Amino acid sequence: MMIAPLSKHPGEGDVIVRFDRIRKSFGDKTILDGVSFDVRKGEVFFVIGGSGVGKSVTIKHLVGLLRPDAGDVWFDGVEVSRLTEEEFFPVRKRVAMVFQYATLFDSMNCLENIALPLEKHRGLSRGAALVEAQRLLERVHLGRYGERFPGELGDGMKKRVAIARALTLNPEVILFDEPTTSLDPVSARRVDTLIRELSDTLGVTAIVVSHDLTSIFGIADRIVMLYRGGVRAVGDRAHFRETKDEVVRQFVGGFADGPMEFG
Amino acid sequence: MGSPLETPQPLVLHERPLVKLGRVALDAVSGVRALVSLFLRTLWFTFRGSRPKGATALQAFEIGNRSAPFLALTMAFIGMILVYQSAVQLGRIVPDYSMVGANYAELLVRELGPTIGGLMLATRVGAGMAAETASMVVTEQVDALRLCAADPVDFLVVPRFLASLVMTVVVIVLCSGLAYATGALTALVAFDVRLDVFVNLSLVDFGDVATGLTKSLAYGAAIPICSCHCGLAAEGGSAGVGRATTAAVVLSSLAIIVINFFISASAFLVGL
Repeated sequence: MMIAPLSKHPGEGDVIVRFDRIRKSFGDKTILDGVSFDVRKGEVFFVIGGSGVGKSVTIKHLVGLLRPDAGDVWFDGVEVSRLTEEEFFPVRKRVAMVFQYATLFDSMNCLENIALPLEKHRGLSRGAALVEAQRLLERVHLGRYGERFPGELGDGMKKRVAIARALTLNPEVILFDEPTTSLDPVSARRVDTLIRELSDTLGVTAIVVSHDLTSIFGIADRIVMLYRGGVRAVGDRAHFRETKDEVVRQFVGGFADGPMEFG
Repeated sequence: MGSPLETPQPLVLHERPLVKLGRVALDAVSGVRALVSLFLRTLWFTFRGSRPKGATALQAFEIGNRSAPFLALTMAFIGMILVYQSAVQLGRIVPDYSMVGANYAELLVRELGPTIGGLMLATRVGAGMAAETASMVVTEQVDALRLCAADPVDFLVVPRFLASLVMTVVVIVLCSGLAYATGALTALVAFDVRLDVFVNLSLVDFGDVATGLTKSLAYGAAIPICSCHCGLAAEGGSAGVGRATTAAVVLSSLAIIVINFFISASAFLVGL
């Protein structure tokens, strides 16, 4: 199994995000034990692995929602894991996140949900923020639903509103935490198409946590597989299809029987 | 001797009582520190933050309007029970009910109205606040807020704090009035105490009103702080929300009792 070596100078070349020997424990349970990989500018990069292996935990380190016990997280040449909450604000303007459950605020309609980061991060007036929010809502093909509240939308639509909210600050990187989970196949493919479009048309780097094999083999440029606290494999789709690693083959093949350990 | 397949049991060192006591004390100190920190941050954002328009009014409706029927019913029955029991006890000593209304008014204004009302609000409002904020934590909405550069304290705690400050006082004053009315009716029906005799505010002075209002205000501040503290500290899924809700009711109720003691003692010391 080959793991791409890390270059010595983070931020050099086309690497925009680097996780370098990340360790993270919750209580006495170690989730990440020396996870290292790079993400290149503009690519759609999937983080895959079994449930509870620490995929979401890994990407949350990039926006300061979690702090590593050891190791470094680099974003565009800057080590960010030890920044304070306020120092993270500039990073969060450049790195957005779409959470697993869409996380729209129930007390706000779709336009207000999207306008919030525009008001808070960019200091736009309420009116200007709502105009911009409408434009973003149209980009995800939900222009007619601005006045609707999250409770009135289906899961797929909520995900797309969340993606519109993530786009508000023109981020360079968007983290997607299981974007197609709980969606019907059609909605899931629409979300996949949207992620691919963002990368192809806007040059956004997408880091996607997913179990969805159709998504993974449909839109990924490169993939990392986490297993037992570390990196099991990194490579492109062809590498994962042709790998001889039995654990990786079991996962990407979706086989119940095999050497893969769970829990 | 166990079979070779048995997992060796880890050596458990039992904590000495003093160590355990120390740990409990340290936990208590850190809990109080977290509450004080949340209170100070709430005050800071009250003056410096920028919340969504209408958030405070929405919370005021939730805390005030939606709690009023529950609190009114509770206080109405408590008013009847208290007057009935007081008159029965009094009748065993001196069968003169002329001062029942006056004593009841003083007790209601200074002590019972705010404290019983506060405890009732802690169960209804505190549980709701904790459940809502805890749900937002476990479904990552609070994380999403942080990524939007919206501070969860400014966004979630401050509207509830401001609404609770105002509505707790309003609801307690109104429901105490209702408790007084049901008490008067009880005295009339059960003990033939005429309304003009019962309605006697001669024992209620400025100190009683000031103490009662201060308590109501303090409870109005304590309930959202305790509840949101528990909600924001929630971990896990629905079980975490349940634990946070229970903890919020317990902590808010405890805070009300402790605050009651300190305000009563302070009022006594300054001669109110």
